[in-house]
This record gives sequence, structure tokens and C-alpha cells, in this order.
Amino acid sequence: MILITGGSYQGKLEYAKARFGLTDADICVNDIDFNKKCLAYIDRYALDAIKRGIEPADIFKENADKLSDKIIITTDISSGIVPMDATLRAWREACGRMNSFLAARADEVWRLFCGIPQRLK
Amino acid sequence: MSTFISGGCKNGKSFYAQRIAKAGGQPLYYIATMIPHDAEDDARILRHQRERAGWGFETLECGADILTCLDRADPNGSFLLDSVTALLSNEMFSASGMNEEAPEKLARELTEFVRRAPKTVLVSDYIYSDANLYDDWTEAYRTGLARIDRALARACDNVLEVVHGIVIPHKGVLPL
Repeated sequence: MILITGGSYQGKLEYAKARFGLTDADICVNDIDFNKKCLAYIDRYALDAIKRGIEPADIFKENADKLSDKIIITTDISSGIVPMDATLRAWREACGRMNSFLAARADEVWRLFCGIPQRLK
Repeated sequence: MSTFISGGCKNGKSFYAQRIAKAGGQPLYYIATMIPHDAEDDARILRHQRERAGWGFETLECGADILTCLDRADPNGSFLLDSVTALLSNEMFSASGMNEEAPEKLARELTEFVRRAPKTVLVSDYIYSDANLYDDWTEAYRTGLARIDRALARACDNVLEVVHGIVIPHKGVLPL
């Protein structure tokens, strides 16, 4: 599994598309579909999960056997002000747990900065 | 050699950028981008002027239409543009509302600036890793600044991130 992280608008999906030759049909955006090669913006899935009272990391733990060939794109939302809103606070922390779980299992972790990829793992 | 620098606030971007620009020799220009709106802005500008005193910068005031700077300066000189963030704010927002064309215009103008004045150091701000859902204008500003940052990362020889005063090269070399 390859995890691609970085702040908003840094070129994460563009990098994944270029490197792996992904087409739109390969990519699941803002949601989780393990039939797709690339799961993009799982932080948005995480926000929906939090609103439904679900721990976002759980779906990855329960489907750990389906992760090996996946390209997963997540937005790093961990470095700002603690939000006033309780849902956004829970989202922020849940994303940290989810991203750490995935990064620990990933074969490669990449961070995009201004469109430039840097290998973290 | 052109250099693009970004990172979090108060991490040492401006100080490092000043050192790189100064190492570029004379003539040495500081492009002052902030258009002051209140006493807090005035105080910030005064603090920055004091920090630059004695460095040998000639100040070019330019809050918008950045290429006009080059009509009043030697393009072979060394330029420090601090910051891209302030420029976009000036170009994008006014009393009459939001100019959605501003990011595209600024990306084009700054790319051209670097082409014509290759010894330029540009400073931007990394505002992309917080957990917040913003209003449409703020989100348009973030998207717009990221678009300019990425255009400059392509155009510049060096792309650096400053974290707590530590400089991480993402492209090119550490100039100092």
C-alpha cells in the first residue's frame, strides 16, 4: 500500500495519477470502495464517519487484507488551530489516528509540498 | 538563482530569505507588498523595517501589479519578495468584493518576474494543514495561493520549506 499525504491543494492526486497512470475510473473520491485502486481524500470519508458516530480508522482495520495493492490519499489536517466545533475536533484527532495506522502499514509514504513529492518512508 | 520559500508562520522564513537575497549582491531590493490598513499593520511594517535596517536593501513599494517593479529596478539585481501571501490578498480582495481571476494573474506575473529577474527570493505561507471548513472566499484564497505556490515551485531553481528555523530543500540546493 502506498500512502500519499500533505496539506490541501499540494498536488497529491495529480502525483498519484501521473505516477500510477490512474484514470478517473480507478479512483474513489471522498468515500471508501475497496474495489477501486485508489482511495482519494479519505479525510472527507473520515468527516462523514465522525458525523455518523463511526471511528474512521475502523474500516481500514476491518479490511486490512484488502489494503495491500491500494493507493491511499489523505489530507494532513493536523497542524492548525484546535477547532471550536466539537465535530471538527473529533475529526481532526480521528484523522491523526487513521493516518498513523495507515502509515505504519504502508510500503511507501509520500508527502507532497507545493507539487513536489518527498518520500517519508 | 531563484528561490521559493514556504512554511509555517514565525518559523524563520523571512530571516533566511533576507540572507539569501543579500548573498546575491548589489543592487539589492526589498519588495514591500503590504498595504497597511490599521495601526497593527503600521507597527508590523515598522518592525520589519527595523529588522532590515543595515542590510543594504533598497525598498520598492509594490502592493499589486508586481511586474511594474521591474520598471524602477535593475532586473539583474537581487530581489526579495515577502510575501506572495500579502500580494494575493491585495489583488484578490477589495471593498468591491473578490476578484476570482487574481490567482491566475499573479501566478502568471510572478512566473514572468522570476524569468526576467532570476535572482529573486519569494516567501509564501503554508496554510494548508488545519482542520477547518472555511467559507467560500477563504477556501478560494487557499486554493489560489496553493496554485501560485505550485507555479513558483515549478519556475524557481530552489524550493525550500522552513520548519522551526531548519531549512528543508524540496528542489535544487540550499543556497546558504
